[in-house]
Amino acid sequence: MASVLSSLRYLFADILGDDDCARPFLPDGLPAAAVPIVSDGIHLLMDYQGPSYAQLYVDRVKRFVGRHEVDSDLLCRIARLLAQRMAYEDPIRSAQLKLAELGSGPARRSEPKKFRVDELVGALPETAGDPLFVVCEKLGWLHRQVALRFPVSSRTGVRCLRLGAGLRRWRLFSVRYDEERAWVERWLHMISRCLDKRPASAAAVVETATMVQGYGEVYRRGMADWHAIIDGLAKPTFDGMLPLADLAGAIAAARAAAMPDPRQVALKRTIAQIRARALAMQPDVNAAE
Amino acid sequence: MDTSHLVEHAGAAGSLFASIFVVATLSMRTMIPLRVFAILTNIVLIATAIPSHNYPTLILHSVLLPLNSYRLHQMLQLVRDVKKSVSSDLSMEWLKPFMTERKCATGEVLFYKDEKADSMYYIVSGRFKLVESGIELPVGAIVGEFGMISPDNTRTQTLECIEGGLILSVSYDQVEQLYVQNPAFAFYFLRLASARLFQNIETLERRLAQQTVAARGGAAKSA
Repeated sequence: MASVLSSLRYLFADILGDDDCARPFLPDGLPAAAVPIVSDGIHLLMDYQGPSYAQLYVDRVKRFVGRHEVDSDLLCRIARLLAQRMAYEDPIRSAQLKLAELGSGPARRSEPKKFRVDELVGALPETAGDPLFVVCEKLGWLHRQVALRFPVSSRTGVRCLRLGAGLRRWRLFSVRYDEERAWVERWLHMISRCLDKRPASAAAVVETATMVQGYGEVYRRGMADWHAIIDGLAKPTFDGMLPLADLAGAIAAARAAAMPDPRQVALKRTIAQIRARALAMQPDVNAAE
Repeated sequence: MDTSHLVEHAGAAGSLFASIFVVATLSMRTMIPLRVFAILTNIVLIATAIPSHNYPTLILHSVLLPLNSYRLHQMLQLVRDVKKSVSSDLSMEWLKPFMTERKCATGEVLFYKDEKADSMYYIVSGRFKLVESGIELPVGAIVGEFGMISPDNTRTQTLECIEGGLILSVSYDQVEQLYVQNPAFAFYFLRLASARLFQNIETLERRLAQQTVAARGGAAKSA
């Protein structure tokens, strides 16, 4: 009977969102200072999604363990920011947190959270989310903000929360997860390239992850600013197209210019100035040589 | 002449044969024999449905017969193409019918180094570069086929689109399905993957030999 049930679970694993992966171990060669941080990251992601997601976190951290350009402090920072970013804030996470709060005592009344419609639809599995995306796009609703309340005072409210938190099973099939996966991989790739080409600026590239936080408009703006800085400064430097002497300084200057402005006027102007200065310096360098 | 008793007997015999073929179809472990028995079942049931004027069964199996025949043809063609590829240019073009088209914009990254691999790509048009090695891949190249059989399943390079184009992609899950459904395909796929690996080893050995000769030449000059 047990084997029949196990076969059925395997057959419907995708639909049930089953995760039979074992709890991940800490990577070999992890410096002592990073052990508590990576352990916390594993706990956070086990609670957030499950063991296979925590394993993905460990695999991503492993890429930097033992690299001679990565000291213990930098590894700790990467591990901490990676865990924070992998536990991104979506409506499912908000429901999970509210339920956890309820489990640990009487929950406080909290302010409604404002998500954009595309964030709500993006949290659904792709097969359900895609048609809704098309409909919302046609109606021009995608960028509308919806205030989500997480009521805990009534039974129906708690049931709704459980239903929302239950969507976690299909989170990895969602459109939003695809975007987050691509972002995390790009961030790690940029760190890796920076360690190869400009190791002195690696900490600045690692810290850019703090630009992408929260949900709603703040999240979208942070994401757009991050891409602008990486596409305008970091990537061309690593590709050898932009002779930036101080990449870390340039990133800091661009970050300081990033304002809460959806058109990114100040940020784009600053990036253009930095690029122009760097390109203007190039002939002088060649002449001096 | 009254033929109703003949129709009745034909109907009973047809149902018996069809039942045997249905049992045989469902007990097949792999795809090709399963399709063959499904086709036989379709033929028997069509033949039985005509004299007994059982039109719903006739329509259903008239639809299923070409469907089963087409799928069988696809499977046989796949095995033939992989087999041909093993003994000729080791190309993986035979995968094209199973791939989905995707447009790529300039600057788009298809996958990053060290990322978990889950699909392979065929370049149809545009320009694509492996970022870490700086190698530009030609049109017609297949990328990511070893990720499927490598133990750690990770990408060894980053692939970036440097000029917009078209690619075909197929997930490892789909190839795995073909693999388990069709033992002949699995066998030739393994041979093909090994042959491509040996080809890579040979290229590396040639390069190593060239570098060794160049290094010896340099040492002799400096001496």
